[in-house]
Amino acid sequence: MTARHDRIRRLYRRLLTLYPADFRERYEADLLQVFDDRRRERRFSGTWGGIRLVLFLLRDFLSSVPLAQERRTDHWVGTMMNDLIQDLRYALRMLVKNPVFTSAAVVTLALGIGLNAATFSAVNGLLLRPLPGARDPDRLVQLYRAWPGMEYGSNSIPHYQDLRDRTGDAFESVAAYNFTPMSVSADGRSDRIMGMMVSADFFQTYGVTPVLGRAFIPGEESVGPGSHPVAILGNGFWQERFGGDPAVVGRTLVLNGHPFEVVGVAPADFKGPVTFASIPVYVPLMMQMQIAPGQNLIESRGNNMMNVEARLRDGVTLQRAQQVVDATLAQLREELPDAYDDQVGTTIVRQGDAGIHPMFRSAQVGMSAVIMAVVLLLLLIACVNVANLFLARARERRREMGIRLSLGAGRLRVVRQLLTESLVFATLAGLAGLGLAHLAVGVLSNIRLPMDGPWHFGVEMDDRVLLFTLVVSLLTGILFGLAPALQAVKAEVVTAVKGESASQAGRSRMSSVLVVAQIALSLLLLVSSGLFLRSLQGATEIDPGFAEPANLVTASADPGLQGYDEARSRAFWDAVLQQVDALPGVQAAGLTDWLPLGVGGSDRGVTIPGYEFAEGELQSFIYGRVSEGFLEALGVRLIEGRTFNPQDDANGAPVIIVNQRMAEHFWPGQSALGKIVHTAGKDRQVIGVVANGKYRSLGEDPTDVMFLPERELSTSGLAIVARTSGDPQAVLRRIQQIVRAEDPDLPVFDVRTMEDHMGIALLPARLGGTVLGLFGVLGLVLAAVGIYGVMAYSVAQRSRELGIRVALGADRSRVLRLVLAEGLKLAAIGTVLGLVGAAAAARLVRGLLYNVSSLDPIAFAGVPLLLMGVAALAVYIPARRAAGVEPMRVLKSE
Amino acid sequence: MTGRPELDHVLPLTTTVFHVLVALASEPRHGYAIAQEVEALTEGRISMGPGTLYGSLQRMTDRGLISEAENPGEDGRHAERRRYYRITPLGEAALRAESERLLRAVTVAQERMGT
Repeated sequence: MTARHDRIRRLYRRLLTLYPADFRERYEADLLQVFDDRRRERRFSGTWGGIRLVLFLLRDFLSSVPLAQERRTDHWVGTMMNDLIQDLRYALRMLVKNPVFTSAAVVTLALGIGLNAATFSAVNGLLLRPLPGARDPDRLVQLYRAWPGMEYGSNSIPHYQDLRDRTGDAFESVAAYNFTPMSVSADGRSDRIMGMMVSADFFQTYGVTPVLGRAFIPGEESVGPGSHPVAILGNGFWQERFGGDPAVVGRTLVLNGHPFEVVGVAPADFKGPVTFASIPVYVPLMMQMQIAPGQNLIESRGNNMMNVEARLRDGVTLQRAQQVVDATLAQLREELPDAYDDQVGTTIVRQGDAGIHPMFRSAQVGMSAVIMAVVLLLLLIACVNVANLFLARARERRREMGIRLSLGAGRLRVVRQLLTESLVFATLAGLAGLGLAHLAVGVLSNIRLPMDGPWHFGVEMDDRVLLFTLVVSLLTGILFGLAPALQAVKAEVVTAVKGESASQAGRSRMSSVLVVAQIALSLLLLVSSGLFLRSLQGATEIDPGFAEPANLVTASADPGLQGYDEARSRAFWDAVLQQVDALPGVQAAGLTDWLPLGVGGSDRGVTIPGYEFAEGELQSFIYGRVSEGFLEALGVRLIEGRTFNPQDDANGAPVIIVNQRMAEHFWPGQSALGKIVHTAGKDRQVIGVVANGKYRSLGEDPTDVMFLPERELSTSGLAIVARTSGDPQAVLRRIQQIVRAEDPDLPVFDVRTMEDHMGIALLPARLGGTVLGLFGVLGLVLAAVGIYGVMAYSVAQRSRELGIRVALGADRSRVLRLVLAEGLKLAAIGTVLGLVGAAAAARLVRGLLYNVSSLDPIAFAGVPLLLMGVAALAVYIPARRAAGVEPMRVLKSE
Repeated sequence: MTGRPELDHVLPLTTTVFHVLVALASEPRHGYAIAQEVEALTEGRISMGPGTLYGSLQRMTDRGLISEAENPGEDGRHAERRRYYRITPLGEAALRAESERLLRAVTVAQERMGT
């Protein structure tokens, strides 16, 4: 059975307590048995079937609980229960009696609740939820090396090993992991995947037991590097690639050209140590030289590539753990002063607080808070709309309430009746909203990022989301139900029964409040989304520092993964570059190990003769290893000097190119040409200065960047970049053919135009902009409908008064003006309140906006004008109708 | 009215009770089988949820129209857990009396409509 059914069954079982104890004791097993039988029926299967089942059971409860409770009416619980059931039945009857009203209210609320549930699912999945599949996730912490200016630095393997061996007082175990690209060959097919190298105690640390086979064995690590070619498969990859075949354990896979034996399969609920990816293959850290040859990370203490996660011992606090890691650092500093001179401390972050990466924490929280706030606003607007619908209906039901009160119904009972009605509405809307959220979450979890990798967003609707939706629905019900309910019982019994309009003043005050609230909330929502949309527009206008990304193509390969040595890699890339450069339609081409505005990018420490770094100043800058032709292909403007040429290799003089910002940083007011930068082991002469660009994100402040010659510091994993004048897709196809002709087994990846590649940098703004734009349009519709409804209703209430005025000889156009003026006054109050709120909100989100003032005139002037227009129309149409009414008809109608 | 005081006590039968008795007239059944039979008899108009079903069965047991029956034990793996019901002599008499009443009513109606 599916999880949903089991959830319904659990809920059903819990609700059985509504029945009297003797009935329950006697029939519980049978009731559950019939439930099971029912849920196997075809009409109760699938999503709609689930909803149908819930409704079916609801009806069953409503008709059977009072009957079963009959025997105990002497008991106060019984009486209360019967009252409640009566209220519920009455509410359901009202619901069915007024289908138009019901659907209008339910659809409006369902949109609000559904959006909230979907947004909360996303925030919950990425930021709040403990890591799925891990045992006691609240005892997991992440450890980072802290450097001057950098709080969350990665760890090297030797450093990790020392942490693991020396922090036993605080941690049960300490694990390390690192994303690593692999090409997997099995059954004559090879794929490029993003797998992980993990330490031997990785699975123990997360408390994860493989569903098949075994985990890595911690003892294996001490045997020494390269001795255990074994692998564990992620559950998703096992299902996709091997059809869930249990015989996969014991099989041999070829990973990056080396045979590995599959020894286990991870459980389905554990997708990996991060919330945004589902890891396909894990290999032991000690196999690093086989999986990622090049540098020996196992022995390099300065090469910080690993993430470290530790499990706290039972009862150990964060403070205690901090003392232990601090003591360990002090020891290491004493033993290895050179290696630990710079490290200022160790940062401990709870797994649950880390989100995607603690470095992005504040941006994630900020963005999530903005979106949550916007959807809550949307819900509030929906509430105001529905409250208005209820208020309008309360007027129609004034007589009914009066009669009930005059027949001796307690006021409390009447309020309860009305509240029950709104809660039933809210519950229905909550169910419909869950349905909507379910659809939205399906879309969300299928979002594909514009880059290769095992990305998987853990967005799903867990119990926390259900609880959230329940609370939101109930609060909503109270919010929109309470005001009309209190209003209804204020009615004077006698006048109400006679059908006269009672407490006119009170009611119109209530609708005035609704008008003001509606306009203020709508304004706040629309201005905020307007700001983000303008920001998205602003982001696309930012100059990334290179020309026409649509005509720039790129493709990557890593022959080192296929076991090529350095010379063979060199020959391969030279051949590819030469052929691509010669393609018709290619104006310039070059190689690089780093493309700006992607996800990667590393930095290197520098020293500059004659420059003293201040305390805490960043001494390490982003760099790219690039070949001749790269800067030309990218279209980066050369400000002085020259770019690289093929002679800038290991035999040539050590050289470097810097960007303008770096030149001004270290040699202000003079030419940087000929100056010396010490980095990557050599004193390098600056041969060129290029224009500034955007390197990590479009929103970043100008950053120092350096380019080193790829021919001198060669590496096998490179991207070829080519500027085209013709069809970029045709050039991409030709590049793939060229690589395949060189080596048919070599996977080519990240094949795309620079424009698509930049999609990653634009992703936050694009995602935020799309979501908020969508919410904005929805908000505009809700707001327009709501403002119209609220305004029109408050004018319609006065139609009798207006009729009398006209009858007494008032000029029709003057009456019209009067009503318009009053309506617009309310709209103006709402607008002012909304603008104040929006300005305050804009201050809060300033940091998240690209290239846009937080008081952007288009957002701040356009939206209020639009809303005032809607409000004017909403007053004018009913007011004209009211003023045009035959006075006698209005007077007679009472 | 029927001359049998214990019958006057239970008549007239509600639609649901009538159909449950019809369902049990030929053989003892368990709860879900009763619900299904009633659904078939009424062409889906009466579809009883678990609470309604056992609420009715409890009241009918209290009034002596039906009683719990020996589990025939031929119902596969769930057999031992299910509670079976059979119609009592009082239930049969009530069903008969109700059927006759309905038949008379139908006959009169058809005569008057000329069918």
